Amino acid sequence: MNALIRAARRPAAASVIALGAVALALAALGASPLAVAADLAAGACGNWIAFTDTLARATPLVFCGLAVAIAFHGALWNIGADGQLVVGALAAGALGPALSGWPHAPAIVAMLAAGAIGGALWGGLAGWLRARRNVNEVISTIMLNFIAAQLLSWAVHGPLMAPAGGFPASRKIAAAARLHLYFPPSRLNLAMAFAVVLACACQLGLFRTVAGFQLRALGRNRRASAFFGAPIARLTVGAMALSGALAGLGGAVQISAITHRLYETISPGWGYEAIAVALIARLSPLGVVPAALLFGALDNGSQAMQRADGISPELVYVVQALAILVLLACDAAAGGGWREMFYRGAPASAEEGDDA
Amino acid sequence: MLETRSIVRRFGRTLALDRVDFRARPGEIHALIGENGAGKSTLVNILAGRLRADAGEVLLDGARLPAGSAARHPRRARIAAVYQSPMLFERMTWEENLALGGYRAGASPRELDAVAVRARTAAAQAGFALPPPRAIVADCSVAARVRLEIVRALSFDPRVLMLDEPTSLLAPAELEIFLAALRRLRAAGRIVVIVTHKLAEALAVADRITVMRRGRVVAELPAAHASAAELARMMIGALPEELRMPPPAGAETPAAAPALTLERATLARDGRRLLDEISLAVRPGEIVGVAGVDGNGQAELVELLAGIVRLDAGRVTPVPDAAHGAVAVIPQNRDRDGLVLEMTLWENLLLAAPVRARFIRRGLIRGRAAQSFCASLLDRFGIRAAAGPAASAAALSGGNRQRFAVARALAAAPRVIVAHDLCRGLDLAAAARVHRRIRDFAAAGGAVLLISTDLDELLECCGRLFVIARGRLIETAAADRDPARLGLLMAGAGA
Repeated sequence: MNALIRAARRPAAASVIALGAVALALAALGASPLAVAADLAAGACGNWIAFTDTLARATPLVFCGLAVAIAFHGALWNIGADGQLVVGALAAGALGPALSGWPHAPAIVAMLAAGAIGGALWGGLAGWLRARRNVNEVISTIMLNFIAAQLLSWAVHGPLMAPAGGFPASRKIAAAARLHLYFPPSRLNLAMAFAVVLACACQLGLFRTVAGFQLRALGRNRRASAFFGAPIARLTVGAMALSGALAGLGGAVQISAITHRLYETISPGWGYEAIAVALIARLSPLGVVPAALLFGALDNGSQAMQRADGISPELVYVVQALAILVLLACDAAAGGGWREMFYRGAPASAEEGDDA
Repeated sequence: MLETRSIVRRFGRTLALDRVDFRARPGEIHALIGENGAGKSTLVNILAGRLRADAGEVLLDGARLPAGSAARHPRRARIAAVYQSPMLFERMTWEENLALGGYRAGASPRELDAVAVRARTAAAQAGFALPPPRAIVADCSVAARVRLEIVRALSFDPRVLMLDEPTSLLAPAELEIFLAALRRLRAAGRIVVIVTHKLAEALAVADRITVMRRGRVVAELPAAHASAAELARMMIGALPEELRMPPPAGAETPAAAPALTLERATLARDGRRLLDEISLAVRPGEIVGVAGVDGNGQAELVELLAGIVRLDAGRVTPVPDAAHGAVAVIPQNRDRDGLVLEMTLWENLLLAAPVRARFIRRGLIRGRAAQSFCASLLDRFGIRAAAGPAASAAALSGGNRQRFAVARALAAAPRVIVAHDLCRGLDLAAAARVHRRIRDFAAAGGAVLLISTDLDELLECCGRLFVIARGRLIETAAADRDPARLGLLMAGAGA
């Protein structure tokens, strides 16, 4: 428990400092920071609908945040969670209408499997390119994001387009394939619980299994991993496929629980926001959950803030970005561990003792 | 004159330097000797401005140096240091590295060519070679990097040149030239400070010697009046009796079947044979040595035995695969190849697959059990880590890191240990203890392949001795067991 509090201290402090800085800026512009904060909080969790909406918004961020955290632990800079989520959604959205007549549970499993497989293929492709052809995964995942977006666009304008509509969207998925909404019109569903279970599984996998151990070692010292016989290619492809599968699951639950059909704009950029989520969580899978909730709440509250105070919702992005900058700066001062992964050029030589 | 007055420096609760007065005069080579943790590197770091002293002052030619000034304004302060582990921009060419040093050149090809010309002149004066044009530092051998560092330090035209264990990676032939270069620098009126644990070297090259022990200066004396035995006693007290080794059993070959066999192993890159039909057998109970100037195929041989590179021709038995653990490798560059610095010690211990296998139950790693095992290992090998098994590897000093690498290799209980520069960064007593462990391992039926540039170490430890030169391996005869003769073979005379 103490360890948990210690782990959460810095990210929490960074978020508070970021909010404080923005409050100062608001005050300087003549707005009341308190009133704005109150509207933001009300929009994020002021009532039942707002609260459940925050949960629903945070859910894909948890999936994608886990995807990013897993890959980053292996120093695989997966910028492609967005594309992997889209492909996962595409696979689930394409399968969904065909599941009419299925019992509910197998249909949900089929939807999730489709999403995971779609995402795993997309992420695994980048991993394979990295492992076999030494293609930088930053570039390949960004490029695959564009391809995924165009693929989705083509699908909803073409083969998957609902017959009667003229609107670029797919047919609705079968009723059996929809995740139950408990208290409509609120969007409360089981996906968030599923995401939390996955976060626990990722935590266990990273820190207790051999593959997770080897992945973390690989991310921190590739050469030493090779010297000790780690299966580098398999770890690279596996981690990227797992990362993609997690993001793809996020896409599938979004289709299954919220939209029930494919749209061109299925992702507002969750895969990118998830990078920020994972960094605030300092790549801890369990930390991704609160970080995603924070970001989901800020996103959700920002719209109420816009309605009430006429403040652009982009202000929230400023808060999010500031929080990350503050956190990075704090870690720099403390010489924190994972930060070194971002500056791998220089070998850490924190030799304290004297050794002549 | 370079002078310190009552320098005090603490690291946490450790008093690393305790009122140190140090004096080095112009036109003299001054050797600073002492055990691990005696405070030599700390003193050098303070003189070079990389560390601040808690108290005391540094004077150069009578003028007080503000703390840290030597690091901020290397040209003005004119104190240059060469460190034990090369501090170069790994991903840049060596010319670019030097351009960023005292030559202050730009990055255009013409300017870099000019840098290369000046550097080659300086290196020629010092008497050693530089890498081929535009070589990336990361691709250079360790010895080449040390040479680059020295040339870079000279590029500042320093009044004081400090060298922290600079010769530990140089070949005998280069060493002579290098020591001659130091004498030339002395003749030019510079102050040369050399940190070393090799007593013979200190006696051979230095004019005066300062001995440190546990953060204090215990003696300062002219080299002409000192003997190795006397210096050793001042440094560490007498070497404990149990660490004195009987000479190795000559060249007799045990009868058991080899634990490691290489048959005409060949490795080529870009048409060049890095390993050229190497044949070698190491039997249980045997310590076999491979001597050679760095960069003659040793790194490739180690990578081959770790299972990282594949042979182009020939055969290795057993098939190298670190995941199976018949062979444990202690790499030369432990920070790059042997440790994950950001991870904890117990996690670093689990990098070795055979050790890891002991701490897995139902597919999960048992962290607690691994930590307590790691703690006992740290204890047994005298590895000092403030936070115990949970300390990050980066928090260890170099000597402790090396001991940890050795401890891990032994803990893996392999049939064969392949060690490249086994005692890198260790002083006399620590090296003797490591040698003792390795001998015990061999006496218990283990096979050891010791790859080193340190001829004294090889002659002391090894039964059979090979020399590697330009990728070829030559077995030496009993008559060759002599540093001068081996030096000739290492230079390729026998190939």
